[in-house]
Amino acid sequence: MRIAVSADGPGLDARVSYRFGTSPYLIILDPMTMEYEAVPNPGAAGGRGAGMQATALAISRKVHVVITGYCSPLANKYLAGHGIQVLTGVDNTVRGAAEDFLQRAERRDREAEAGPPYTCPLASKVWIAASQSAARQFAGLLPILLGVVFLMGLFTAFVPQRLLSSIFSGHMVTDTLLGACIGSIVAGNPINSYVIGGELLRSGVSLFAVTAFIVAWVSVGLVQLPAEMAALGKRFAFTRTLLSFLAAITTAIAATVVFNAVVGLIH
Amino acid sequence: MKKIKAHTPRGGRRYYRALIFPAFIFIAYLVLYLSFPDTTAAAFGKSLAVLARVALPLCLVFVFMVILNVILNPGHVGKLLGKEAGIKGAGLAAVTGIISAGPIYAWYPILKDLREKGASHSSIAIFLGNRAVKPFLLPVMISYFGWIYVVTLTIFTVLGALAVGYAVERLCGEEQHDS
Repeated sequence: MRIAVSADGPGLDARVSYRFGTSPYLIILDPMTMEYEAVPNPGAAGGRGAGMQATALAISRKVHVVITGYCSPLANKYLAGHGIQVLTGVDNTVRGAAEDFLQRAERRDREAEAGPPYTCPLASKVWIAASQSAARQFAGLLPILLGVVFLMGLFTAFVPQRLLSSIFSGHMVTDTLLGACIGSIVAGNPINSYVIGGELLRSGVSLFAVTAFIVAWVSVGLVQLPAEMAALGKRFAFTRTLLSFLAAITTAIAATVVFNAVVGLIH
Repeated sequence: MKKIKAHTPRGGRRYYRALIFPAFIFIAYLVLYLSFPDTTAAAFGKSLAVLARVALPLCLVFVFMVILNVILNPGHVGKLLGKEAGIKGAGLAAVTGIISAGPIYAWYPILKDLREKGASHSSIAIFLGNRAVKPFLLPVMISYFGWIYVVTLTIFTVLGALAVGYAVERLCGEEQHDS
């Protein structure tokens, strides 16, 4: 059994750090023998993605349990995805937290020997947890989606159709290029690109431009380039982004041409 | 130890940040209504019509999210990526990209870890490209563009991502990890 404890210092007498993602150290230890290793947390300085660096560290060290004060929902999700149990709300020294964990684990083992209580299959914890997770995902995307919907309402009411027609002339190549450029700069949940693209299409913008916009929205993402460079290397990130931009253009042209042909055949 | 409890995700601060954008739009409506009441009212009406159009597809999106959360988790998805090479590996990377969920920032540490364990450039690029295909969001896309368009675009998006993966492998294949 290996546990990881977020800690303010490198020893067993250090306090458990409140925030898992930005704690100065992760103490990896065996609670049975109290043998431990103090590993500096690469995300201690904070910033975007700090929590995921601590998460990746815990996963790579193959721990079974993480003990901390607070762990973000996203980090908790990824840790749970790797079968790692997350215990939060801990306010103690690393040694005290480990001893308390061991006592609780032994008590749980004794209770398990007495046999599990009956649970209704329809009220399975898996479905409840999945519904809660989906509700959180939904709550996360809904405010931005509402903002986009009402912004598009303003856009279609205030921006004259002739202005859009002058920007998007209906020319296959220039419209596609323009759509891909706009889609590459902005980023976010794809559902927003569908709403924006759909409303632009209704306003008279060509399907070539809208398709390029939708494809580039997720597959290019210039806003995410620094994070991709940091994680996967500059050369890879630049090459993939440039090729994805070109692919967005060719994909948009090919998909729109084929779609128009199929629709023409059906009608 | 004073207390150990099961984790209950909240993430309140992130949700508050997400409210900034709609709040800004709400203020924009108020300001514009003072100068252009008729056009702003028309904009509001158009927005409500859009909401009515996407309401049912959004309900389906929620149902799909629950089902996918039961079937999949990021750990299992990550484990599939980079296990195989060649055509099978490319197919696996495409499938994992399609079924992956959550913000891309959360995936970068996992992709970095997989790459250090030997996952190919093409697998990572194919995974990232196929994130453009989101099965659980298809109801909303179909409501706007129709199923023929969605099927056509999905096929070409997957093909495009595979082509990008192949080209990235050719261009960066000999590169040592420079991150």
